[in-house]
Amino acid sequence: MNNKRLIIAVIICLALIVAALPFLSACGGDKEGRTLKVGITTPTTGKAAEKGAPMGHGNLDCFEYINNELGGVEGYQIEVVWRDNGYDAAKVATIVKSFMDEGCLLFTTSSSAMMTASMEIANRAGFPGMAAFSSPIIYRPPQHIYGQMPDYGDDFLVFAKYYMDNIWKGSGKPKMALHLLNNSTGAGARDAARAYAADLGIEIVATEEHASTTTSEMESLTRIKALNPDVLYISSTPAPTAVVVKNAYELGMFPGITIGSGHAGFTSALVDIAGADITEGVYGVFPTVNWGDDVPAMAKMTEYIKKNHAEDYEKKNMDYITCWAQSLIVAEILKEAVNNAGYDALAAGDANSWKALEEQGIQKLKDYDVGGLHGPVSYTAGDNRLSKSVRVFQVQNGEIVPLTDWIDAPVVKYEEFDWFGK
Amino acid sequence: MSLPCGTRNYNYAEDMAIVRTKTHWVLLIALLVIIFTAPLYFGNYWLGVMNLIGITLIAAIGLNILVGYCGQLSIGHAGFIAVGAYTAAILTNRLEMPFLVGLIGAGVVSGLIGIVFGLPSVRVKGFYLAITTIAAQFIIIWVINHWGYTGGFLGIKVPYASIGGLVFRSESSQFYLITIIAVLCVFFAKNLARTKVGRAFIAIRDNDLAAEVMGVNLLYYKLLAFFIGCFFAGIAGALLAHWIGFLNAEQFSFTESILYVGMIIIGGLGTSVGPIFGVIFIRILQQLLTMELVPFLESTFTNFPSGFATGVTPMLFGLVIVLFLILEPRGLAHRWALFKSAYRLWPFSY
Repeated sequence: MNNKRLIIAVIICLALIVAALPFLSACGGDKEGRTLKVGITTPTTGKAAEKGAPMGHGNLDCFEYINNELGGVEGYQIEVVWRDNGYDAAKVATIVKSFMDEGCLLFTTSSSAMMTASMEIANRAGFPGMAAFSSPIIYRPPQHIYGQMPDYGDDFLVFAKYYMDNIWKGSGKPKMALHLLNNSTGAGARDAARAYAADLGIEIVATEEHASTTTSEMESLTRIKALNPDVLYISSTPAPTAVVVKNAYELGMFPGITIGSGHAGFTSALVDIAGADITEGVYGVFPTVNWGDDVPAMAKMTEYIKKNHAEDYEKKNMDYITCWAQSLIVAEILKEAVNNAGYDALAAGDANSWKALEEQGIQKLKDYDVGGLHGPVSYTAGDNRLSKSVRVFQVQNGEIVPLTDWIDAPVVKYEEFDWFGK
Repeated sequence: MSLPCGTRNYNYAEDMAIVRTKTHWVLLIALLVIIFTAPLYFGNYWLGVMNLIGITLIAAIGLNILVGYCGQLSIGHAGFIAVGAYTAAILTNRLEMPFLVGLIGAGVVSGLIGIVFGLPSVRVKGFYLAITTIAAQFIIIWVINHWGYTGGFLGIKVPYASIGGLVFRSESSQFYLITIIAVLCVFFAKNLARTKVGRAFIAIRDNDLAAEVMGVNLLYYKLLAFFIGCFFAGIAGALLAHWIGFLNAEQFSFTESILYVGMIIIGGLGTSVGPIFGVIFIRILQQLLTMELVPFLESTFTNFPSGFATGVTPMLFGLVIVLFLILEPRGLAHRWALFKSAYRLWPFSY
């Protein structure tokens, strides 16, 4: 008898709770509890952690700022699904699938390698993605993957143009040697050189490759030295770039020749690893401002990095800036999509929402100013690079000092070259 | 309640059967029903994880035949998987051949490349052979990166798998394709161990000199082990290529090769169920740490800076494997064998 009463009481309570749920949810604000979900994956552990960790910090700190201080996007909080991919291709494939499963509206990666490993899964599903660092293969031909910043080929083109206009004083064609990481980071620069070096009036005399784990490049640099180049261009990550610069210094090549670096390797980590005296005078291109520059977004970003990741600030890590900017762009995309398509079109987080976000969010970006952190962000039909500008920097007294204002990198339709991807 | 007091075989067919009792049949059918109805109750993410497990399992079975049964240590398995993946990509993308041609071609080419790198096994063994297989890994990856036909550093696209008019677009359809091939591979490997070839492999593993004295042709059987092991790797590579849709040599790292050796050791070398246990253990552990533990720690300890929990993943991953090897060095298959013995003898375990 008692049991029967207890069961009836429990059923009544459950029925009341179920009936009250709509009223309870109605008690909140109109947009309270309604979120916009995004997937973020960074190689915070693994062999690219030196870049991935601060990039992840930049992403997450910026979303914390947007949600806490700006009230989210148009009143909707951004729900971040963040995963460490460990620079593991198999893992990032399942991570991107999980983003799609969890109803994320778009996803971002920091490295081109991780985007390469997962992009076809996203392209097949029409799930939009954005890579902070990218190579042409990611969006040539353009599909659903976008590049936050110019790619490694653009780096080469801007540096080569700057070199010809400002550094090269000799007669005839300068001789350039390339030292490239054996992945898409190096391949991007190689393809740009193959496409445009001759047009720029540069003779490529050597193309050497190195691994991300290299500890000595004396042999390859000895071969390069024998060819007597005027300039050495490196497209790699900081640790291998430091090895190449150190070895060039030890072989007596540098100072003497000009050394330029693409943006994947040109950060404070390069100066830390190789040493300020050895890297003195090395040129590099980078698509963001540096710490301490007088731009609108600097104060808030500095406040957050000092509060949450002082170690990144002490190292003056520029990768943090890149991903802080990436999060701002994601917020702007969401804002455009909410305004143009409405929250309800995005709420499901399914294929229709992805299409709406891409067409009404990403493709509506027009001259968005990322607080001055990097060049303006616009979508141009047929060109999935969102920002197209880089600046040329130089290491001076251990600091990375800007030499130029923003320089736009041209659109290169690599797919029109017979050799591209073959 | 009637309890079995032993399984008696009345003819050779019963003695040779893999599935010997009604209980075996019931459990096997139940397992297959659970596996093949998985798309009904799992989302795309977990189906993706299961697809990855299935692909990894096929490759691990091949490595287990080579290392576990035949005793030929290979630390370049990811390289052979890469050969299969790129062969399938070239055949189906560049030459526009059907998926099945690409699949079989991947296995055959990978197997033949395996024979080439297996040739030193006639002269060297143990650590020395391991070094030659490491060389295979690096040579294969170098060729992939520098041969234009593979797309080089930029990589190569791979179309969806398709048979006739059936295109395997969805995660669940890919799951069925991968699972069926994985089940066939498990069945093949289980049977191989019981054949003349399997016994020759085991003889070579246990004492190659004694095996040769008994009339086992070392050159033939060692190279056959390399062919079969790498054939499986090639099949796994082809499935991986069609599943991911884009190949880049970075997906086949040396670390991945070592992980494969770790999987078959944790599962139990030279057993048919070892690779299954090892692969499931490692892949699920990876996913749980990445997808569950780290986000849980990040959301629970909000006073810590964002990203603080990432170091936990590699530390715990390493710790679990070390503890596992200390506490159960004979692998999960041994634990499974103990469980089965206890079940059979219950309630008289001793």
